[in-house]
Amino acid sequence: MLDIEGLAARAGSFTLADVRLAIDAGRCHALLGPSGAGKSTLLAAVLGTLPIVRGRIRLAGADITALPVEARRIGYVPQRLGLFPHLTVADNLAYSARARKLQARDFQPLLNRLIEITGIGALLGRRPATLSGGERQRVALVRALAADPRLVLFDEPFTALDEGLRRELWWLVKDLQEARGLTVLLVTHDLAEAHFLADRITVLIAGRVAQSGASTALYRRPANLAVARFLGLRNLFPARIVAPGKVHCAALGGTLAAATDGRGAGKVWLAIRAEHVALRLPDTPPRADAQRLVGRFDAVLDLGESAVLHFRAATGARLEIRCGSRVLRKYGFAAGQAAEIDLPAGDCFVLPDAPPADA
Amino acid sequence: MRLKHTTIAAALAVLALYGGLIASLVWFFDAATFRAALASERTLFSVRLSLIAATVSTLLALLFAVPAAYALSRFPFRGREAVETVLEFPIIVSPAALGAILLIFFNNPLGEWLQANVIHFVFAFAGIVLAQFVTILGVAVRMLKTAFDAVPVELETVARTLGAPPRHAFFTITLPLAKNGLIAAFILTWAKALGEFGATLMVAGTMAMRTETLPIAIFMRLASADIEGTVALILVLVAIGLGALFVARRLLRSAAHA
Repeated sequence: MLDIEGLAARAGSFTLADVRLAIDAGRCHALLGPSGAGKSTLLAAVLGTLPIVRGRIRLAGADITALPVEARRIGYVPQRLGLFPHLTVADNLAYSARARKLQARDFQPLLNRLIEITGIGALLGRRPATLSGGERQRVALVRALAADPRLVLFDEPFTALDEGLRRELWWLVKDLQEARGLTVLLVTHDLAEAHFLADRITVLIAGRVAQSGASTALYRRPANLAVARFLGLRNLFPARIVAPGKVHCAALGGTLAAATDGRGAGKVWLAIRAEHVALRLPDTPPRADAQRLVGRFDAVLDLGESAVLHFRAATGARLEIRCGSRVLRKYGFAAGQAAEIDLPAGDCFVLPDAPPADA
Repeated sequence: MRLKHTTIAAALAVLALYGGLIASLVWFFDAATFRAALASERTLFSVRLSLIAATVSTLLALLFAVPAAYALSRFPFRGREAVETVLEFPIIVSPAALGAILLIFFNNPLGEWLQANVIHFVFAFAGIVLAQFVTILGVAVRMLKTAFDAVPVELETVARTLGAPPRHAFFTITLPLAKNGLIAAFILTWAKALGEFGATLMVAGTMAMRTETLPIAIFMRLASADIEGTVALILVLVAIGLGALFVARRLLRSAAHA
């Protein structure tokens, strides 16, 4: 549906280089990246508000690179939603139809259906300033979809909402996306949002695509150190592959088993997710592939649903551990307490020592 | 609290200065002279001429200022900084110098050709309008640019993604949202045009019943030592100016609450 080929664009001193991205029809693709990574620049290039230096953008098979914004048929829901403050909700929703000089029979059925699904029928006579955050989100969503776009761009539209409302709107967007077969490009810095809504994720770092793939694949195997750090992986240690499936890590006290993914001997980073580090519990036998580390807890934080423990190994290495709060309460772990943890070999993996020049 | 009181005192001092100056006119106020001055054909001509010239010059200025201000607000282009700098030209050059520049221009070959073949400016109604236009154009562009800057570009982008061509987005989104700024710009530039003296004096001269705008009439009355007549005309000018500002504030307030 959307194919971006070798796109380069410049916004002030920032450069977006050789971006490739493909989104299948009816799929949601998340664009993740730290602030200043180029997400908004890429979005502007796809929208058509920023001229590109090189490359091509295809939508539904047609080359839209040179088309003006209004001819691209791309729906857009920006972070601040962009509701027209001087128009009522009804006029906001009908704006597209009026701009395109459509007959009522050509847009009203779709608009009515969207109004019904999102439950905004009672808001039609009101001005945006009088709406709540959630109501404004719904209106912006319906307005974008009522124009019957071929692609919808969401630019962090849920950022300013509280947790409950955000999750409610995720479900609404997901339901609409699946029911209407929408093709969506979602820009976000929220990992949970990306995993919830998108099938595939592209991580943009410093104006380049650092990794692109299925959301589960990104979670399991970040492509490099920069992506791993951006995705919140904290347990990263310099290591060296000594044999297939074996790495020597001085910080963790010796040689450990880890997935080396066919890499030859050489410097790497050994990684394990905080939620994969296992606490050695008195009533639970360790996993068969467990690799024991002894040390003590520096800090123990109960976050309600989950808990975070900071562990300092006898070697001095620090690891972050995540577990359920119930475990924390049941075993009464506390800061300063001596402890043993396991690094399951099946959950340890390696990352290249430096990011590749061209990911 | 000291800061609060000091700043409020400064604000009230501004009121006291201008209010005091206007009130001081009462010393020379003579009701009979005022009535006679108001009813005189010459005063009515001046009022009519001032109102018409200020309205025409303001409309002409806005005709240029609206697109120019929009371009300055939205698009990067070569020469943009030069345009922004030249907007201050009428402020840093005195109106008299501006009028003198216009007069000198109409004495060069191009100016003479324009006067002979297109429109006659010197010592004519067109000269008054031109003098006012040149004086207020920069201010009008500056005020309108501020008004357009206050409208988020994002709204235009959204309008365009909804299928609106740039012109449609401008007229349906940007212009209505900049309405308050437009009203303020119109009234303030109109009031400035109404009180314009120096440039008008240079280009259009001081011809009674021909180029005698209210400020020119005040100058002519004062030159002939007619203090009571001068006071009467000043009060007329002040009344029109303050009336315009009052209307502007009311319009802006109602627009803000709409």
